[in-house]
Amino acid sequence: MSRTPAVDATTLIVSMSPHVRGSLTIERMMGSMLLALVPTAAVGVYFFGLNALLTVLLAMATAAAVEAAIEMLTKQKLTIGDLHALLTGLLLALILPPTAPWWLTMTGAATAIILGKMVFGGLGAYPFNPPLVAWVVLKLSWPERMNAFVAPSTGERVLTPLMAFKEDPALFYSYDLWDLFLGNAAGGIGMVCGLAIVIGGLYLIIRGIIRWHIPVAFLLGVGLFAWIMRMINADLYPPVGFHLAGGGVLLGALFLAPEPVTSPVTPTGMVVFGLLAGILTMILRMWGSDPDGTFYAILVMNAATPLFNYLTPRAYGRWERA
Amino acid sequence: MGIALRGITLPKNDTVPFELIEITPPGTVALPLIQHLGEPATPTVKVGETVTSGQLIAAAATDRSVPIHSPLTGTVAAITATFSSRGQDTEAVVIEGEQIKPRSKKLPAPSTLSPAELTEAFREAGLLSPGPFPAPLIREILGPEQSGSQLSLSGTRLVKRTDTLLVSALDPEPCLGVNRYLAGIETEALAVGIAAFKAISGAERVLIATDKNFPQSRPLRAIAAADEEETTKIVRLNGRRYPIGLPIPLIKAVLGREAPLPYGRPRDVGVALCTVSAAVSLGETLLTGAPPVTTLLTVGGGALGRTGIVEIPLGTTIEDLVQALGGFTQEPAKLIIGGPLTGFAHYDPSVPLGKDAGGLFALSKEEITPVGAYRQCINCGRCVAVCPVNLVPGMLSMYCAKDRFKEAAAQGLLSCIECGCCDYVCPSRRPLVHLFRHAKRQLMEAES
Repeated sequence: MSRTPAVDATTLIVSMSPHVRGSLTIERMMGSMLLALVPTAAVGVYFFGLNALLTVLLAMATAAAVEAAIEMLTKQKLTIGDLHALLTGLLLALILPPTAPWWLTMTGAATAIILGKMVFGGLGAYPFNPPLVAWVVLKLSWPERMNAFVAPSTGERVLTPLMAFKEDPALFYSYDLWDLFLGNAAGGIGMVCGLAIVIGGLYLIIRGIIRWHIPVAFLLGVGLFAWIMRMINADLYPPVGFHLAGGGVLLGALFLAPEPVTSPVTPTGMVVFGLLAGILTMILRMWGSDPDGTFYAILVMNAATPLFNYLTPRAYGRWERA
Repeated sequence: MGIALRGITLPKNDTVPFELIEITPPGTVALPLIQHLGEPATPTVKVGETVTSGQLIAAAATDRSVPIHSPLTGTVAAITATFSSRGQDTEAVVIEGEQIKPRSKKLPAPSTLSPAELTEAFREAGLLSPGPFPAPLIREILGPEQSGSQLSLSGTRLVKRTDTLLVSALDPEPCLGVNRYLAGIETEALAVGIAAFKAISGAERVLIATDKNFPQSRPLRAIAAADEEETTKIVRLNGRRYPIGLPIPLIKAVLGREAPLPYGRPRDVGVALCTVSAAVSLGETLLTGAPPVTTLLTVGGGALGRTGIVEIPLGTTIEDLVQALGGFTQEPAKLIIGGPLTGFAHYDPSVPLGKDAGGLFALSKEEITPVGAYRQCINCGRCVAVCPVNLVPGMLSMYCAKDRFKEAAAQGLLSCIECGCCDYVCPSRRPLVHLFRHAKRQLMEAES
């Protein structure tokens, strides 16, 4: 039974369908997220000056270098090209205080890559958001350094709005909500200007890089909780906008919580994840010891992500036995 | 009518204008004995025998196979081994000769035939069901012949009376265009075929699903208007949406009914599903008395350099068709029988195009994605968002890649219709359909 061999049979590829693919790749996802964070980082540099710029660059460079070093040591393929290490470094830099010294930044970036990402097997395998893992390590190791916030432009040591609120709840009257949203307040390098974060986040949602479920649910969770508290006692509790614009809520909702690896895969799971993360943020803010509960809330929810993945849609054609 | 369907929307330039390309028919055809899922037909001719166009050369062995007729008048040159369009190992009857139109016979008008006579003609026509799992259409519509095999593996098959004939003027994939092409062509056969399908299936109403991105089909509208009892309706759907043209999602989109997967069939939810091309084929069989021996294909792909519909004798090989179309414009990287989303890649250009071939695509190097360069699942959930049967493909793929097939099956692996949407959107470029097919095969082999 002879088959006439084709002239070019050796070059023809045989594989399973589908034979064409969409254009979305990991590189494009990560690249778009880096791009979306450019306004946020730029505003941070504008407000906090040279040290902010150095922190951003140093964090990204350290993250990329540490990842490459580990992969060379363990003889793995270099994954610097997928841009994830750079994104991890950038996100970490954006949640550091603008006064962060170089060694704090480098330790943080190395921790994010080693402890947050590579020990679990790299991109796709880690259970906790790597920049947040590093943030917790830094926060526990050097609490003073991590709380050294300065006022934009002047460089004067001040408390962040949320820290002030923790000291004395009545202090929220002294903040203008527009100032908080536009960035005229103390905070992490990339946490002060809500406008820049929202622009980047909307870009990602419109481009389809992140999905709307988690950001919307997260903000809804925070907003509803704040609104109920406000209804209970308007003298004691700040308006909804104060909680939404203050601290890491916007950055958390739009960039940290929707991080694909550590968030649920099903739409229902995403919504529940976001809502609970938002509510937990508010609980931690109201009754926790840390002024801003956003990052802790996201980490706790990361741990619960495998549970949310059980919230699958009903598979087609699965009928209840009559 | 019409229910939102999860899936993907292809970019505009991936769907093509469908025009007929005239070609010279080849002098040799190879007719595979199996052109679908099921069992091969039994050859009724020997090597060296003379055959005429339309003559039966292989008879259906069981109700899971279809009869095959010669498209050429000539001699049987050989019976050799080859691949079917789906890549199954099979024997093929090779016939050398020329295409001669059979002389028209005096026939009774199709409208005067009884359902039993129509069914006989339907069986003789040897049509296949649409989609990536082709099976004898008569068995799909009327059910298995032997009583007792009505029960599915789980024993819970819903036995419903067929109440709806669903005629699909959509194509299995947006890149294929035969049904949409035929829906725009004025023929007597289409109306005859639809009427015959309605009589055979016993359906009370006819729904015709058309693509709203195309101008309204005049012939189909005329058919709907001619129905005085107003039991024929046209449903307009977005044909650029994929996988709306595949049987299971189409029934869900038009009627909201879910066939009980796995192993679910349109019949289980009271639907007889046929395509416009099957209706035309049946209509022509009834009008001329000769079973269909040609088929329409969509051709395309960067290496072919042209796009359109061709009519070929059944069993034309890939190389003969490519030659008739003027050869490749650049070196093909992949030869695909079927569409780019559900088709089968072949390495052998001498493979014949059978009844189950919906198209021939010669993709160039730029159009394909490299195989094997895939990474870990990053849990982004895009596959969940597009899966038309509501699975969690990413999770399933991890089970399958780690040989944990039973767990994958418990998560609904067998409900997968292999449409490839999850593959298409995966940013890690994971070969999900490949893993699922592998796992299904392993499960099947473990069972037997």
